Amino acid sequence: MADHMHTVPEEALKELPPAHKALGKLGRALLARFPVWPIVDFLRNKKVPEHRHAAWYMMGGLALFFFAIQVFTGILLMVYYRPAEPWQSVQRIVMEVPYGNLMRSIHHWSANLMILTLFLHMFSAYFMKAYRAPREGTWLVGLALLGLCMAFGFSGYLLPWDDLSFFATNVGLTEMEKAPGLGPWLASLLRGGPAVTTDTIGRFYVLHVVVLPLAVLGLIGMHLLFVQIQGMSEPDSFAALPACQKKHKKFFFDYFASEIPVWLAAFALLVALSAIWPRALEAEADPFGAAPLGIKPEWYFLAQYQALKLFPGKLEYAGMALMGIVPLLCALVPFFDRAVPSDRRGTWIERAGVALLVGFVVLTVWGWIS
Amino acid sequence: MNYPIWDVGGLGAGLVVAIIAIIHVLISHVAVGGGAFLVVAEIWSRRQPDGQRVRDWLHTFATFFLVYTTVLGATTGVGIWFSVQLASAEAISLLIHQFVFAWAIEWVFFLSELTVLYLYYYGFKRNTPRMQTFLAGAYFVIAWGSLVVINGILTFMLTPGAWTIENKDIAAGFFNPGYFPALLIRTVTMFLLAGLAGFLVASRIRDEEFKGRIIQFCVKWVIPGAILVPGLGYWYFTTLPASTVTILAGGTVGVVGGTLSALTRMAILAGVAGTSLVLGTLVFAAYPKTVNTIAAISMLLVAQLGIMGAEFFREMGRKPYVIHGVLYSNGLWVKDAKDPARLNGPYLEKAKWHGGVASGTLAHGEQVFRLQCASCHTRDGYRSVVYRTRNWTAGFGSRWLGTMHDMGVMPPFQGDALDKAALVAYVLSLRGETVDPRDLLPDRQATAQGDDLDPDGSGQALPGLEVAGAEVGR
Repeated sequence: MADHMHTVPEEALKELPPAHKALGKLGRALLARFPVWPIVDFLRNKKVPEHRHAAWYMMGGLALFFFAIQVFTGILLMVYYRPAEPWQSVQRIVMEVPYGNLMRSIHHWSANLMILTLFLHMFSAYFMKAYRAPREGTWLVGLALLGLCMAFGFSGYLLPWDDLSFFATNVGLTEMEKAPGLGPWLASLLRGGPAVTTDTIGRFYVLHVVVLPLAVLGLIGMHLLFVQIQGMSEPDSFAALPACQKKHKKFFFDYFASEIPVWLAAFALLVALSAIWPRALEAEADPFGAAPLGIKPEWYFLAQYQALKLFPGKLEYAGMALMGIVPLLCALVPFFDRAVPSDRRGTWIERAGVALLVGFVVLTVWGWIS
Repeated sequence: MNYPIWDVGGLGAGLVVAIIAIIHVLISHVAVGGGAFLVVAEIWSRRQPDGQRVRDWLHTFATFFLVYTTVLGATTGVGIWFSVQLASAEAISLLIHQFVFAWAIEWVFFLSELTVLYLYYYGFKRNTPRMQTFLAGAYFVIAWGSLVVINGILTFMLTPGAWTIENKDIAAGFFNPGYFPALLIRTVTMFLLAGLAGFLVASRIRDEEFKGRIIQFCVKWVIPGAILVPGLGYWYFTTLPASTVTILAGGTVGVVGGTLSALTRMAILAGVAGTSLVLGTLVFAAYPKTVNTIAAISMLLVAQLGIMGAEFFREMGRKPYVIHGVLYSNGLWVKDAKDPARLNGPYLEKAKWHGGVASGTLAHGEQVFRLQCASCHTRDGYRSVVYRTRNWTAGFGSRWLGTMHDMGVMPPFQGDALDKAALVAYVLSLRGETVDPRDLLPDRQATAQGDDLDPDGSGQALPGLEVAGAEVGR
């Protein structure tokens, strides 16, 4: 055997097609060069618990699917987008580039659906108590991913440089500036000066297409690695069953096959939304003009936006403190609620989760209609 | 304008109708296609070694089917006619007067359909398999008969063909140019949807081997329809009136919606929905034991999206009419629009449901909005007037109202200069601007043309105006 070649494990030889067939030959050649059989074997035997809440497991895969769409359409948009001529280049994408506005609309809708799916993924993990040991790291990385994806939305929103994006970003950065401590510094860093200008575009662009993608890709890798190593979390009702009553489904291809129709439906939904309601490009931003009527942030910032309105004047700092405390408390939940099966603390955490969910929905709808 | 207006706040009457309609279309087509599914499955069960087990599953399918069609189908069916007659009473009045017997026949079919379905459902233990097959067959024929009838009335609204308000030729209106392609599309779609409903019911079967066989049986119902429907859509397209084709194929003018025509966007959606259905069904065929409820619902969602797209673009192509070439979406008859005295005379004198508001006031403008705009637009919700007129100036609005019909998607404005001025003042007041309608009358405006943003009067100088095929997110 040549140097650095590996022996193909006996078990692999049993599973591979016969050596005289092309696939069998290829499999043996690859395994002799890359000793990855333990990984292949691990994935072959990967299992997903089967219970009545199992549908929620699909949210993670669905969010990843939308992220893949974002990467694909984002790369296509980058071909034509010019940070030096933001509005003009987006206008060109919309008006001249074949299927340009379709790609832009899919990018827009996919971003919204990705964040919606991430919220559903977070709340389902919360209520299934998937944050408990040993999965605290998975939970924290997941929360960070949600925050980064919202930052993706915020940074991408400015890039078209139209009226709506300019004034919405201005409102967001003004709120950020009011936050005590790092607020003014961070707002100034993002703006690149005292006001939102085309210099801000350069910073948001780099953030949107380099910094955030690298960070998100790294964290997705960690999140997936943790899930593979620790396996899928089981809700208490399933974990309490005797081993003989627990049913599992093989990930490849039984579970995977049942996810494909969900992804197909997600893709059809994206295309339907983009075909029926393409993303509009408003007039070019005029920093000296009047803000458009009824300007509001994107829906995933509406709850925070509406909550801040409940704290007028000097109370605004209290509102901002609340905005900071909620994610912090979410991050601390795994270290507070540890008991399996759930105890009184766990029950309180569930109630707090219901309050958070109801509050989020009510504030979002309130912000939408007010 | 002889009927009161249904003012549905931020949703708008059209959206309420659309939401009910797209659900009803899915349910009603499952109801008809499911009949054929029952017949073929009854016959198939006799060739199976465990025929009784297949028939027991058919009982489960029929339970789902009965509840689904009689509860959701009947409520959305009533809901759709209730809401459309509120949204456009003139149109429904015309349809009832023209097709009263067709509607009566459809009603008889519907009652017979329900009666036979109950006989089939409650006869499972008493009847022989042959009798059950007969009842399922009778159900299918009757249910399809109701589709044959209602299809004539529905297609008449977009393609009335040789029917005119003068000749009132019922046969020409019923068997209109769109009748046969639409009937074929609906027939193929109902088989497809029956297969998808089969997936959903079969996904609950616990025995994986048996589930696999039922799924394989359902696969054959889906694939042909998913391939054929987008193609048959082209045949339907060839029967559409020229003005509808212009709207659908004309592309979106202006930055707002991009350059893709409605037709291209519709074709992309049909292609993606059809391909997704074929691919998803092939996955089901390859891994039938793995089909679960979420996967089955996902396939129904794809079909629902396809239906939603077809309904949306058809309604876009119907503009500016409710009944093509006969009645405009704002309740104005085309024959009346040809009479300048009637079209340009004071509007409130003709409208009976305005509550006696004073002329030349904002209340006057609001009544004109309710009676002429609210059937399609909301103030600041879906299809928002505030958004669409965000660049209007006081001087621009009245002139735009006078020329909006020339763009192809808006009906003619009914009323005189004061009606226009009152409407413009009301629309501006929605965004907080206070204007006296009388200041917008042409004689006063002659001295104040400086702020007009559309000097050539084309209506296309401002971004955000509604133009051919434009559909934006608000």
